[in-house]
Amino acid sequence: MREPTYFVLASLLDGPLHGYAIIQRTEELSGGRVRLATGTLYTALDRLTGEGYVELVREEIVNGRVRRSYGLTPPGAGALRAEAARMADAARLVTDRGRHLKAGGSAPKASPA
Amino acid sequence: MTPLERHCGWLLRAYPVWYRRKRAGEMLSTLLEASPPGRGWPSFRDAQALVIGGLRVRGRVWWLSMLWVVIGAAITGYAFFITTKPIHADFWIPLLNTEPAVVSVAAYLTVAAWVVLTIPVLIAGFAQLRWRGLRMAAWAGAWAAGFALMYQAGKWGRYPGNSPAIGSPAVISWGELGLCAAWLALGAVMTWILAAPHHSRKAAEASSRPSRQASS
Repeated sequence: MREPTYFVLASLLDGPLHGYAIIQRTEELSGGRVRLATGTLYTALDRLTGEGYVELVREEIVNGRVRRSYGLTPPGAGALRAEAARMADAARLVTDRGRHLKAGGSAPKASPA
Repeated sequence: MTPLERHCGWLLRAYPVWYRRKRAGEMLSTLLEASPPGRGWPSFRDAQALVIGGLRVRGRVWWLSMLWVVIGAAITGYAFFITTKPIHADFWIPLLNTEPAVVSVAAYLTVAAWVVLTIPVLIAGFAQLRWRGLRMAAWAGAWAAGFALMYQAGKWGRYPGNSPAIGSPAVISWGELGLCAAWLALGAVMTWILAAPHHSRKAAEASSRPSRQASS
């Protein structure tokens, strides 16, 4: 899962959002790292709805234009959680070693296994 | 309509009609919200993303076909232009014509690119249209027309004066102008043929229609 996809899904954890709100929330959650352009967002939404990770939940008219809100589906939430667990595992690989570094000065030699 | 709205509308034309019908209103509101007030144009990043997104929805076959058409039209125009040079050798044998070597070689490479593009794009188009239906017949017809145009260009390019000339000294003839116009028309027809939504339609439809699950 690419980083923008991860943050788009994460932005929907607290409930459905419309297009611009997803852009804002994504930027906020990623500490400004992921700044989605409108075209990129909709390409991602097309793909994610195709995969069944995201669905359209609400349609309203604001200032004469349609505004659609998207929400996370159960499979989407599952995929997000799985990705978070994978990244946590990957992070642990380094953070655990980091403790050794701080404590002992030099990292223990990696075992061949 | 504000200038920003108008310019966003232009950029949204990068997307095919069926997609715009479902998405343009929504994307426009997002674009307007994302642009700081008082600006006439969306940010460069937004503009770039729209063009790339539009090309992606249209698909590789579409933009490769357009490349084929544009190169074809350019070769046709150039082949006619070269025949107006005082002493001209055959355009189809570059390096023998009177243009500077760089131009000659570039023209030669362009012709090569056109030829190389032909077969894969033709087949990819058939694959996208699933080898059936009226659109596939139209696709085959469009390509036959493309080859016919190139053949005619080759004939007129070789023997200037086959068709009444425009202006004096003649730069291009009416027939040749017609051929260039026909190339552009061919591009429009191909765009129409390929405008039938393919694989990405399902996704866009799913994401622009509330699901039953959510509304119950």
